[in-house]
Amino acid sequence: MQETTTKTRKGHTDPGNIYTPLRATVDKVIDESPMIKTFVLIPESEFSFKTGEFIELTIPGIGEAPFTPSSSPLETKRLEVTVMKAGYVTDRIHMLKKGDMVGIRGPFGRGYPLADMYGKEVLILGGGCGFAPIRSLLYNLMAEKEKFTKVTLCYGSKTPEDCIYKPFISELRSIDNFEVLRSVDKADESWEESVGVVTILLDEVKVDIPNAVAVVCGPPVMMKYGTFKLLEMGFPENKLFLSMEKNMSCGLGKCGHCMMGKYFVCKDGPVFTYDEIKDQPDIWL
Amino acid sequence: MANHYLISKGNWDKVLARVIEELMVYAPFVSEGNQEYQLVENEQDISQIVYNKAKPASPLKTFFLPVKENVVTEPAKSPGRVILGVPSCDLAGLDLLDIFYMEEPYVDPYYKEKRENTILIGTDCFSAQEHCHCTTYGVNPFPEKNHDLRLSLMNDQVLLSAATEKGESFLKKWCENGQLAAADENAARPFTEPAAGLGKDLSGKNKHLPGYERTGVLIGKSSEEIWEKYARDCVSCGACATICPTCTCFLLIDRPDFDKVRQLDACQYPGFARVAAGEDPLKQKYERFRNRYLCKYVWRPEKFSALACTGCGRCIEACIGRINKNELFAELSV
Repeated sequence: MQETTTKTRKGHTDPGNIYTPLRATVDKVIDESPMIKTFVLIPESEFSFKTGEFIELTIPGIGEAPFTPSSSPLETKRLEVTVMKAGYVTDRIHMLKKGDMVGIRGPFGRGYPLADMYGKEVLILGGGCGFAPIRSLLYNLMAEKEKFTKVTLCYGSKTPEDCIYKPFISELRSIDNFEVLRSVDKADESWEESVGVVTILLDEVKVDIPNAVAVVCGPPVMMKYGTFKLLEMGFPENKLFLSMEKNMSCGLGKCGHCMMGKYFVCKDGPVFTYDEIKDQPDIWL
Repeated sequence: MANHYLISKGNWDKVLARVIEELMVYAPFVSEGNQEYQLVENEQDISQIVYNKAKPASPLKTFFLPVKENVVTEPAKSPGRVILGVPSCDLAGLDLLDIFYMEEPYVDPYYKEKRENTILIGTDCFSAQEHCHCTTYGVNPFPEKNHDLRLSLMNDQVLLSAATEKGESFLKKWCENGQLAAADENAARPFTEPAAGLGKDLSGKNKHLPGYERTGVLIGKSSEEIWEKYARDCVSCGACATICPTCTCFLLIDRPDFDKVRQLDACQYPGFARVAAGEDPLKQKYERFRNRYLCKYVWRPEKFSALACTGCGRCIEACIGRINKNELFAELSV
């Protein structure tokens, strides 16, 4: 990561106030799938984040919701967030148009430990909109691809039309030591890849487990069974990196909404190793 | 070692009369049997301040974390103020609030401003209320931390002990020559003995209750049934959390033009932990009820050295379902 000033690092227009968002303009809206859109944002001043850290996206007068940016952490002038329509705030986010003004607070939390992945094989299991944080991670992996022995992405979605980032998938497939496997729960005639829940892809993967780390990000059910399957395959608990989703609201480890046992997911996570959280309650809810 | 001073009650009232001209002074008053902090506005008010009685109904935190506060466009400015008559349970509760709201890197400028502009005059408790159980969790019924001055009133004499430079400067600024007399430990002892005695009484009265750490262990081993049983009368009103001197949770409300309001929240409310897609780890009422105690006695102690329950007993008094958490813990400990 390049060095940035404290102001840029924390991302606030007013460094004295943790609640003040940095303003950003919507530059472009990309339809990824019927339920998922990507919003390209241009922040008022440069904004940097590390892969896996998240932001609170402010819709004035409506509310905030937490998203891990899906764009490259190496870019500081623009930022992309990929949003699934799922509730009150995300419904309003889906109504955003080019030129609209939003707010960004953050970046918050602890992201993916990139340095711990150097020299290793990286196996990534993703589902649905869980591809968003993974894409930012993949941008980092691509930028330093010689540092990883192999990168495998196993990605699942409900139907072929729910598969997001189609051009990006082609880009990944063109890289030598990168492999992409995809599955859909329900296929149509055009689909030429796997059919079934995403964990079936793990049966096809050849991975050197002692020299690998795994990353899991997706809806709760997928997180649960994906993690169990990786454990069954022999992945050590401290080599499984999970992106947890809770009701992160302040992002500061204060408001309490995202508590997962003793942890504040917003501050202590959102990325945890499985051994860190396995004894906490309701991790899959 | 604190510096002790003695001042006659008459002179102390004169000091307060000067202070209220310049600073906002809040002190406990009793009205219709209810003890509450109120703004001291005139000399008549000064004569009615209640000294050395156990806690006011509202916790000290309401001075630093108002129920609602604009945290973006309103400047974080607070007038200088004095809060008089703060019991040790509330002072001990500041440890956790200070960690939450003033620890780097995320300092809440609104909380910090109020903390720094407030002089806290703690008070010894000469008597306890029915549900007081501070000593069960290692808090004595007299100020030991987070206060600037400690005050006791006996036989028309006020003992003031300065605990901080801020407290010492306050006395220097507001007491006129000859009003204050330095006192040694021997002279101070009669003023401090009642609360020390009360501490022993409270420990005896509450010896059936498990201590702080033991409570956490018991909760960790508890079955769901006991929580379902005690939560039956819970109406999810959140009074226990609102009135708790250490509950910190809040909701951020977005207003137009990027304005934000921080509003106190409670894990007892339905939907507190619900995520956008609908999953909710605290869906059942008993889960929310249990969550508050897991938080206080299991999770907070795993992460912070500060107490998350100081034994003030307000949650028991405030509960309209008449749920007594101490009965629950006593039942867990047999």
